[in-house]
Amino acid sequence: MAEDLVLDTAIRDWVLIPLSVVMVLIGILRYFVSKLMRSFQVPDPKIVKEGQVIVRARNLRGAANFIPPKSFRSRRVYFSNEENGLLFVPKGQAQNAQAQMFSDPNMAMDMMKKNLSMIIPQTLTFAWVNFFFSGFVAAKIPFPLTQRFRSMLQNGIDLSTVDVSYVSSRSWYFLNLFGLRGLFSLILGEENAMDDTQRMMQMGGFGFDPSKSLSAEKDGLDIVQHEWALPKFEHRAEAVLKKLVS
Amino acid sequence: MAGQCDSSSSEKKSSEAMNDVPTFSTENMQNNMKVIYYSRTFMSIIGGVIAGILGFTGFMGFIFYFLVMAITSIGLIAKAKFSVHLYFDSWNRIILDGFMGGLMSFVLFWTFAYDIVHIF
Repeated sequence: MAEDLVLDTAIRDWVLIPLSVVMVLIGILRYFVSKLMRSFQVPDPKIVKEGQVIVRARNLRGAANFIPPKSFRSRRVYFSNEENGLLFVPKGQAQNAQAQMFSDPNMAMDMMKKNLSMIIPQTLTFAWVNFFFSGFVAAKIPFPLTQRFRSMLQNGIDLSTVDVSYVSSRSWYFLNLFGLRGLFSLILGEENAMDDTQRMMQMGGFGFDPSKSLSAEKDGLDIVQHEWALPKFEHRAEAVLKKLVS
Repeated sequence: MAGQCDSSSSEKKSSEAMNDVPTFSTENMQNNMKVIYYSRTFMSIIGGVIAGILGFTGFMGFIFYFLVMAITSIGLIAKAKFSVHLYFDSWNRIILDGFMGGLMSFVLFWTFAYDIVHIF
């Protein structure tokens, strides 16, 4: 059913292009605003200490094969010893850290700011699109979709015989929302793009950071099988030197 | 080994060629991952514009997307001088990583170019 609708050129000029340009500009604006608004938070020494311990344990786990077995084992005991090992956190303390994290006013304010800076531009833009650009066909997507998508994509259009490929501007907004993520990561460099879903996940994981990751590291450290790689290095050095000399 | 790095290359050696214990420098590995991501995003945007201008519709467009991704993979492998294990830890990374992320950008630019050119 390829009834080709002829769409007005003015729609191209005044709907598609301005909407994309506005979304790109808002993304750039948000990036700069978040850079300016980043308040420097004095790090809590206890949290930093725990973070560093985790990093040390992770390094130990990664490079375990480079140190002799005895020293590896002594380091491991230092970390996961039941009484005074650094990674061993009793259950009572774990809950405390989580509660403290959420009631800390600075942390809560930071989270609120980040959330708001995500949500407000999206909401505003969506309301703007709905208000101005509703009730007409905006674009044609080049691939066919089933009838179920009709209600989602053809919001303002009340004709039921129009091909589902012809979509309203609301769906153009959503298409831009997802597709410009890649563009932002190219322009703004180093994935400062809209990682909104990733940030949401990070927000949820904040409170658990100290206790859960400590026990996770401890388990990981316990699992490591130590296999000393260094004895073979002498043979390898000999082979390399032989190649150089001959 | 260090003398072979050319200055214009942006992929860094992330594993020493040890015979028995493979070790990876995480920083270099992450840098290589970033390179793959940027390459794929860029290629999917360009591919989207090309697909729109050429007028692909429906299935043909998605086949074109897979073609562009395959070309990107081959290009990346060729850049790594065909010794993938020196730069990445598994084949899957260089072939499959970033596939889905590029898809949305591809569809956006495909729709954009198709509309501007064909339904003007």
